[in-house]
Amino acid sequence: MVFRMSEQTHPVSSDPVVKVRDIQKDFGYLRAVNGISFDLYKGEFLTIFGPNGAGKTTLIKILSGLTRPTSGSATVAGFDVLGGDVRLRKEIGVISHATCLYPDLTALENLLFYGKLYGLDDPEDTANQAIKEVGLQLRRHDRVRTFSRGMQQRLTIARATLHDPSVLFLDEPFTGLDLQATNVLKDHLHELHTGKRTLIMTTHDMSCGLEMCDRVAIQCKGRFAMLESIDSVDRENFENLYTETLER
Amino acid sequence: MNEYFNQVAAIVWKDFITELKTRELFSSMFIFALLVIIIFVFSVNLSIVGAREIGPGVLWVAFLFAGTIGLNRSFMLEKENGCLQGLLLAPLDRTALYFGKLVSNFVFLLIMEAFMLPLFMIFFNIDLIQHLLPLLYVILVGTLGFCAIGTLLSSLSVNLKTRDIMLPILLYPLMVPIVIGSVQMTGQVLSGEPLSDMMNWVSLTLCFDVIYIAVSIMTIDFVLEE
Repeated sequence: MVFRMSEQTHPVSSDPVVKVRDIQKDFGYLRAVNGISFDLYKGEFLTIFGPNGAGKTTLIKILSGLTRPTSGSATVAGFDVLGGDVRLRKEIGVISHATCLYPDLTALENLLFYGKLYGLDDPEDTANQAIKEVGLQLRRHDRVRTFSRGMQQRLTIARATLHDPSVLFLDEPFTGLDLQATNVLKDHLHELHTGKRTLIMTTHDMSCGLEMCDRVAIQCKGRFAMLESIDSVDRENFENLYTETLER
Repeated sequence: MNEYFNQVAAIVWKDFITELKTRELFSSMFIFALLVIIIFVFSVNLSIVGAREIGPGVLWVAFLFAGTIGLNRSFMLEKENGCLQGLLLAPLDRTALYFGKLVSNFVFLLIMEAFMLPLFMIFFNIDLIQHLLPLLYVILVGTLGFCAIGTLLSSLSVNLKTRDIMLPILLYPLMVPIVIGSVQMTGQVLSGEPLSDMMNWVSLTLCFDVIYIAVSIMTIDFVLEE
């Protein structure tokens, strides 16, 4: 398999925020992640494309400390993902197709709960502010069960960024969203993509994925088949490149 | 340490708010326990078998079966919308999650038991009021042991497809010493014996409470790992 890697540019900081070395993850005989290595620097946005079963979600789970890799090492925000360090979890936020919201609690109660778990100084004020930022202040006392998928995903963004994480993982965040909700989510992601925050997103949505990222990877059969700076990628022909890369 | 207790309290608060809104857990546990007692009342001839002989066993069977429903529901709540993942991503010690769920389960079960005792008294025609304090002690100790191991096994079985079957299969064998101790103590309390006369049973039940909590603290990290 041809493995292409761009020269890494990292103007903001010399220490990588995400450092992955030869990560492997086996589920029985199935190797979900097969020797992935890369560095990501402060403020960078990496989008990972790949077919279903490529191991993208497993990689995100390893980096967020939810799953232990079979071998290899990884650090996020300076903390080893293998150590189960509580401080690592204060530095990361995860947005996936699972909202992690309690359907019978209101929007405010959900964020209040997570605010308490994260040990925020003023959870109520922070929760109200976060709800306002995602435009749900009029529905803050409504149960999450009554929210549309798009509204739930906006609240998920508020939940995941409540503690102002320095690294944000987004696992297929556009799944199940209509066009309007997708545009709202994209706007929020643009706001989150500030110089101080590092983002890794997995998605099937090529236009959304390419629009926001600084670096792009294609993951196939557990490996990175490509990892390039977005500047060196022809966005118009990316779909062809994606298909060609998968066929190799 | 303060943050640890705040996190435990947050989990308990969340469970209580949810239960206050849905009342699913309490109503299902209460109705099930009531049905168990009614079935026993009508299937056993209480004029032949003394109510004080069979009553303690029936009471604990009702608590146990109804409690299993509660334990099953406890972590199922966390599976909806992937909330368990949200908890595992939060910067809280896994034992804080365990103790939060343990306290919630324990209090829910105690509330259900408090509602069941007057009904038990009526159906079995046993005066519990004169033995109330030692009986409450026995119920507290027995329920704590049940919830201690039940919460751990509930977190273990939540990711299994056959969780509804697996939880009782795993739980009931481990409950044997606590059930034996609790039934014996309840019987002796209802016969008017003081707690000091049944210290061997009290010690046995307390001992298993401590063992189950210790085992849970030691294993909860591995149990919750994906």
